[in-house]
Amino acid sequence: MKKLIQFKNIVKAFDNQIVLKGINLDIYENEFVTLLGPSGCGKTTLLRILGGFLEADEGTVIIDGKDISNIPAYKRDINTVFQKYALFPHLNVYDNIAFGLKIKKQSNDIIEQKVNRMLSLVGLEGFGKRDVTLLSGGQQQRVAIARALVNEPNVLLLDEPLGALDLKLRKEMQIELKRIQQEVGITFIFVTHDQEEALTMSDKIVVMKDGEIQQIGTPTEIYNEPINEYVAKFIGESNIIDAIMKEDYLVNFDDHDYKCVDFGFKKNELVDVVIRPEDIDIVPRNKGIINGEVKSVLFKGVHYEIVVETASGTSKTVTMHVLGNKDVVNENAKEKISASNFYMDLEDVKTLSDSEVIARANAQAWTFDDEDVSLTNVEYDVLEKTGVYPCTFKTSKGTQITVNITVVEPIYTEDKINEEAVQAFDFYKTVDEIKESIALDTDLKRWANATAWSLEDESPVEIWDVKYDFDDEDIKEGDYKITFSTMGRELKIHTTEYKEEGQKVGLSFSPEDIHVMSKLGSY
Amino acid sequence: MKKSNQLFSKFYLTIILLFFYLPIIYVVLFSFNDSKSLSNFTGFSLEWYHKMFNDRTIMEAIYYTVIIAVLATIISTVVGTITAIGLSKSNKLLKESINQINNLPMLNPDIVTAIGFMLFFTSLRIKTGFLTMLLAHIAFCIPYVILSIMPRLRQIDNNLAEAALDLGCTPMQALFKVIIPQIKPGIISGALVAFTMSFDDFVISLFTTGPGINNISIYVYANVKRINPTINALSTILVAVITVVLIIINVVPIIKERKRKENEKFV
Amino acid sequence: MKGFSRLVYPYVVWMVIMIVIPMLMIVLYAFTTKGNDVLTFQFTLNNFIRFFKDSIFPNVLYRSLVLAIITTVICIMFGYPAAYFISKLNINKQNMIILLITLPMWINMLVRTYAWRGILNGLPLSGEVKVYIGMVYNFLPFMILQIYTSLSKMDQSLITAASDLGANKWQTFYKVVLPLSLPGVISGITLVFLPAVSSFFIPKLLGGGDYVLIGNLIENYFVSTGDWNFGSAISLIMAIIILISMYITKKLDRDNREVTVK
Repeated sequence: MKKLIQFKNIVKAFDNQIVLKGINLDIYENEFVTLLGPSGCGKTTLLRILGGFLEADEGTVIIDGKDISNIPAYKRDINTVFQKYALFPHLNVYDNIAFGLKIKKQSNDIIEQKVNRMLSLVGLEGFGKRDVTLLSGGQQQRVAIARALVNEPNVLLLDEPLGALDLKLRKEMQIELKRIQQEVGITFIFVTHDQEEALTMSDKIVVMKDGEIQQIGTPTEIYNEPINEYVAKFIGESNIIDAIMKEDYLVNFDDHDYKCVDFGFKKNELVDVVIRPEDIDIVPRNKGIINGEVKSVLFKGVHYEIVVETASGTSKTVTMHVLGNKDVVNENAKEKISASNFYMDLEDVKTLSDSEVIARANAQAWTFDDEDVSLTNVEYDVLEKTGVYPCTFKTSKGTQITVNITVVEPIYTEDKINEEAVQAFDFYKTVDEIKESIALDTDLKRWANATAWSLEDESPVEIWDVKYDFDDEDIKEGDYKITFSTMGRELKIHTTEYKEEGQKVGLSFSPEDIHVMSKLGSY
Repeated sequence: MKKSNQLFSKFYLTIILLFFYLPIIYVVLFSFNDSKSLSNFTGFSLEWYHKMFNDRTIMEAIYYTVIIAVLATIISTVVGTITAIGLSKSNKLLKESINQINNLPMLNPDIVTAIGFMLFFTSLRIKTGFLTMLLAHIAFCIPYVILSIMPRLRQIDNNLAEAALDLGCTPMQALFKVIIPQIKPGIISGALVAFTMSFDDFVISLFTTGPGINNISIYVYANVKRINPTINALSTILVAVITVVLIIINVVPIIKERKRKENEKFV
Repeated sequence: MKGFSRLVYPYVVWMVIMIVIPMLMIVLYAFTTKGNDVLTFQFTLNNFIRFFKDSIFPNVLYRSLVLAIITTVICIMFGYPAAYFISKLNINKQNMIILLITLPMWINMLVRTYAWRGILNGLPLSGEVKVYIGMVYNFLPFMILQIYTSLSKMDQSLITAASDLGANKWQTFYKVVLPLSLPGVISGITLVFLPAVSSFFIPKLLGGGDYVLIGNLIENYFVSTGDWNFGSAISLIMAIIILISMYITKKLDRDNREVTVK
């Protein structure tokens, strides 16, 4: 194959923001090349430089051995299919397609021949007289392709052309585009952020991020051997795990050693490991390489996506004191008031406010007719010392209730392996409050003031799981244990076999299924 | 709405419309009066029309009004269109400052704009007359033309011009084959605004014209002191022409649309 | 396509010559004495001092402002209900009535005012009342059209939402429709107030010789007296007052919008 286009060290900045950081890329004849990356990665900018709509700040673009940097767009043998098609609304389908040929002053009979050939290539025979603004998205798309291809360019640029279409039409057009490319036999350069689109259509994929090329390869290479975590995540669903390369062919993660086929890393180098969900098999417990528990099962049409937890997260267990209802009734004022005792962190005393106390004690008052009554007076005197302090809430008619605020030292559990900490407090609730909760897990987290953070940088970590063993519909007075935990190691598995949530299973994968990537690695 | 409310709203709108049409009805009626009286209708005659067509000053005023309006419309539409296209591709600073300055004649009272022109022409020792009046008309029409084209330009898909270049147009070809057809409605409405602004103008014309060059407004202003029913005849003719033109403008698109729909049925 | 930006250059030259320089000429004349040469100017503040020293001139200015304000208020009073009623009609009738209101606007303002002169001729009305009739007649259509535009653009679901939330018809109007139509009222005010301040042929045609407004004053100093320096000073004062009131209305409009957003 012959080299058709060469980008040499292309740099481009907008308003001092560098969008392309020195792109080097070769594109060959008859290739279907996809520039893949999220929005803002510079893929469209690169395409526009090739089309002649933007000038690179540095570097050269060479086509067929000639530097084209100074050739204006209209003299380049390149045509573009624009994002929203950019069909000329004042011209009909035929005149849109004939536009380029008329500009080149070709004779009418030749134009007619060529346009008709294009109309049949894109499957729009007989649509010539139609108004382009009245066509469907898919039809407009086809007109845009025909309008570009009729000029017989060496290269066709396609700027996210399928983005505006719905899923079904997009799938159809993917196949259609590939067919057209094979039929006309020219180079297509396709820009998209959709990895699936890239994998189905391309001969070659260029993965970009922040103005840099991350990896260039065939769809299989990119999928099976991503060069780094970024590419692995962008192309398909993956399990990506922080790991240590103990020695050649031996990698360690989650405190286990695994055999692998990768080599050439430094001893004890920190690496990323990627295991594709379809490469893991679920086997009976103790029959695989690791054991775990099924956390969730999602039916995805062809397969199930099963999440298995192989190592548990960090957890903290607290006590919930459930009391009977103890509304204070004021017969004279025809009012009722209620509030609960609560525990609080010594560190939070400084910033305690009336509204916070009302919220934490869940204090409320109401009339016999169930009208809400506002609390006009909150009295408390909490010192910055551990201990039990009384707190009184009053309405304007003198209905009042007193509860205890227990100030405690912050207690949290740390997990050195997960590098996480979880904190939560014991709390008091009434039977009714628990029965009335409409989102119990969220309420329990709030009542216990449960939080988790990373020991590395104090950044917050999500409380992933709330475990308890009471039936909230039928709870009685008494003490209950509640455990809050963070997410442990969870592996995504694609399988056609159904498993129950909570089932204990084993997992197996072969050394070839583990793909080790360098942490710093980029193209 | 309740019935009584509806009745009231109808009544109210009728009164308002009557108020708007009262002077028009009046001039039309009294243009056919056979006496000089402006308050008693004594009988039907075409005397004032006859007088009007034989009055050289009136005929000249009509001639100058039309010729200046036509020239000012053509020139300001061409210049305004070119400028609007340039503006849409200009940087923000230039765009903003031109818009601000363009706003001046639109926000300033006519009389301020008018004396500005007058002071300017006389200090350059340019004799006021047809040319100065035309220049002034062009100057105050261009901002309105730009104003009515800019929104159209903003609506155009940026990629359209690029698509034209991509398909081999030079920038000039792209302009004429793609951009101008897209903004045509804006250009037409701009031209229409320019024409009426120029046709109806009084204050700026008064201060920029010279001896012997009157337009209709100046003629009416100059002759208002005397009782002169020929002005009624002139007004009636204006009313008739404008009504016909407005009906055409409003009805033609409807007919076109209907024809287009009928054609589509056959496709 | 960037090259197209060059297309504005000819107009920039034109704009400087035909808009900027004439405006500067007014300023120059306002601050100089009579009988200047092209090259030698005598700068002075006398024109302004003269304006404010004699009570006649400030009085005329005051009267013009009052006239413009009252005209604006009358236009809102009559224009708002009209616009509201129109917006409640079915769409074909709306277009029809809007066309009927626009049609007279295409006919020369002077001609229409001239007709009023004939109509009001024999009636026992003071010159001032006649001027008001002429003013309201000329400017009311602008007010109606502006308010109508903002009313007809209003999302009808807001009115449904208001009544869904328990507002009665009057509350819906007062709490939803009126605040949302205020931008229309404000642009109507600019379209009425500004030309009303400087109008000079309506008072001249309808008010009789004794009814002098600031516009007539300017005209007199340019056409009859020939004192262009003093005339320029009066124009400058008027232009500044108008710019200030424009700025205030714009600011009111913006504040109003911010409040609505909040």
